[in-house]
Amino acid sequence: MNDQNDMIRFEQVDRHFHTEARGEVRALRRFDMTAKRGNLTCVLGPSGCGKTTLLRLAAGLDKPDGGRVFLNGQAVNGPAKNISLMSQEGSLLPWRSVRGNIALGLQVQGVGRAARRKRAEALLQRVHLPTNVGRSYPHELSGGMRRRVALARALCTNPSVLLMDEPFAGVDEPTRHQLQNELLNVWSADKQTILFVTHSLEEAVYLADRVIVMTFARAVAQFEIDLPRPRNRLSEPFVKQLVAVREALEASSEYNQTIKH
Amino acid sequence: MSVSRQASRIALGLVIPCAVLVVWHFASRHSAVVPSVASVVNVLIHPWQSPPTLDSTSLASGALISVLRVACGFTLAAITAVPIGLIVGRNRTARDILNPVIAAAMVISPIAWIPVAIIVFGLSSPASSMYGDEAWRYGMFDQLRYAIIAVIWMGAFFPIVLDTAAGASSVREAHLEAVQVYGATRMQRLRFVILPAAAPAIVTGLRVGGGIAWRVIIAAEIFPGTRSGLGYMITTAHDQAAYEYAFASIIVIGAIGLVLDGLLRLAAHRVTRWQVKERS
Repeated sequence: MNDQNDMIRFEQVDRHFHTEARGEVRALRRFDMTAKRGNLTCVLGPSGCGKTTLLRLAAGLDKPDGGRVFLNGQAVNGPAKNISLMSQEGSLLPWRSVRGNIALGLQVQGVGRAARRKRAEALLQRVHLPTNVGRSYPHELSGGMRRRVALARALCTNPSVLLMDEPFAGVDEPTRHQLQNELLNVWSADKQTILFVTHSLEEAVYLADRVIVMTFARAVAQFEIDLPRPRNRLSEPFVKQLVAVREALEASSEYNQTIKH
Repeated sequence: MSVSRQASRIALGLVIPCAVLVVWHFASRHSAVVPSVASVVNVLIHPWQSPPTLDSTSLASGALISVLRVACGFTLAAITAVPIGLIVGRNRTARDILNPVIAAAMVISPIAWIPVAIIVFGLSSPASSMYGDEAWRYGMFDQLRYAIIAVIWMGAFFPIVLDTAAGASSVREAHLEAVQVYGATRMQRLRFVILPAAAPAIVTGLRVGGGIAWRVIIAAEIFPGTRSGLGYMITTAHDQAAYEYAFASIIVIGAIGLVLDGLLRLAAHRVTRWQVKERS
């Protein structure tokens, strides 16, 4: 059912791959999902359950074998201008400076050098990085700083949809919390539609308006998170919400099967 | 790097050449064939002097024509091998078609192609193509034989193709997706991701190819009709037992090789700066 508020919609999407090691792998099976306009939706699930495939399909980097993916009511046929993807750490181009990395999308879109530089510097400030970092290379930065650069790059083209693939994985907890707050600040100002993939339940409950749980290439549960923002991880309502989601998941036979696998 | 560290590096680098000089000096005193160090130095400090006993141009003009031949063959190799390497590295069909040919051709010594090059190009040169029978008037221009350049091209081509293909095929999907998500065209993917990611491998191929080209030229200058070049000078010096010219040519070959490798290494450092830092 089409809804004006649906920014991203998956309808009965199938996607499978053939790999040498594992043979036929079903990444998505009759997968249905919607992400509301301006909402922050988290997709939660264990490794290999199809989360990254989901994002690649939404970004137009891959095509479904069956079903359809819609973005803002239009079927996705390839990369769209209003979308940005923030992948895990490794997607920063190591041969480009921080400034060059941030402005990559603008350069692809043919924006001039001066405008790119100006935008990159504004974004460095926005993600709380000093301007002189702009000339450094990614490997000269800490893990947390690299994530900030990746966030700045994702924001560079001013996208209305932000797809994030475990963007804060692999950093220490305090840095991770800082980055999550950074993201929430950006989101509360710009109100992009964010589809955020994670395997951390706590991260999902802290960030999301809605959590979609995936196992075995399917969405098995959805939870609306009605907690007010800013959220406090130590507050009673937050802990209660976390426990409620955890209990609901543990009661789900499909989820338990996946965990046992 | 500190001055003392740099001085010690230079000193260490001079140990073997100095030892060779000493051994050479004593060998020349006990042999009628080995030229004295002084006679070779005399040739080296008068590079423009035509050798009185040899049918050859001066050492300097011989070096110049050899460098020109290598420059032509190597540039052609780089221009053709890099695009082919990129295609082989990124396209499975191209890889399936070209890999057997490359694998077979790369094990053939470039010198073995000399007869084939002579059959294909004969003694023609850019000068003979433009001026016909009057080509001999154009000296160095006439000495740039197509056949010699083709053999150098063969020597340098395969290492450049193989390294470029290896670099292009190892580009990370995440890096490609970083530009694809913005709707990058095929050319933009090449410019922003594939070429910079493959640059370290391309530069390695160029260095290896350059080294081979420089080694091949000496053998290729035994071509019929060749009257100049360091390889030619070594051959004629051997025929006339004027070994001081052969030794001087060998020293010049080594020196030019050192300079060429230094230049390529400098270029490599610029292109692969990010990679060196990333490893450290």
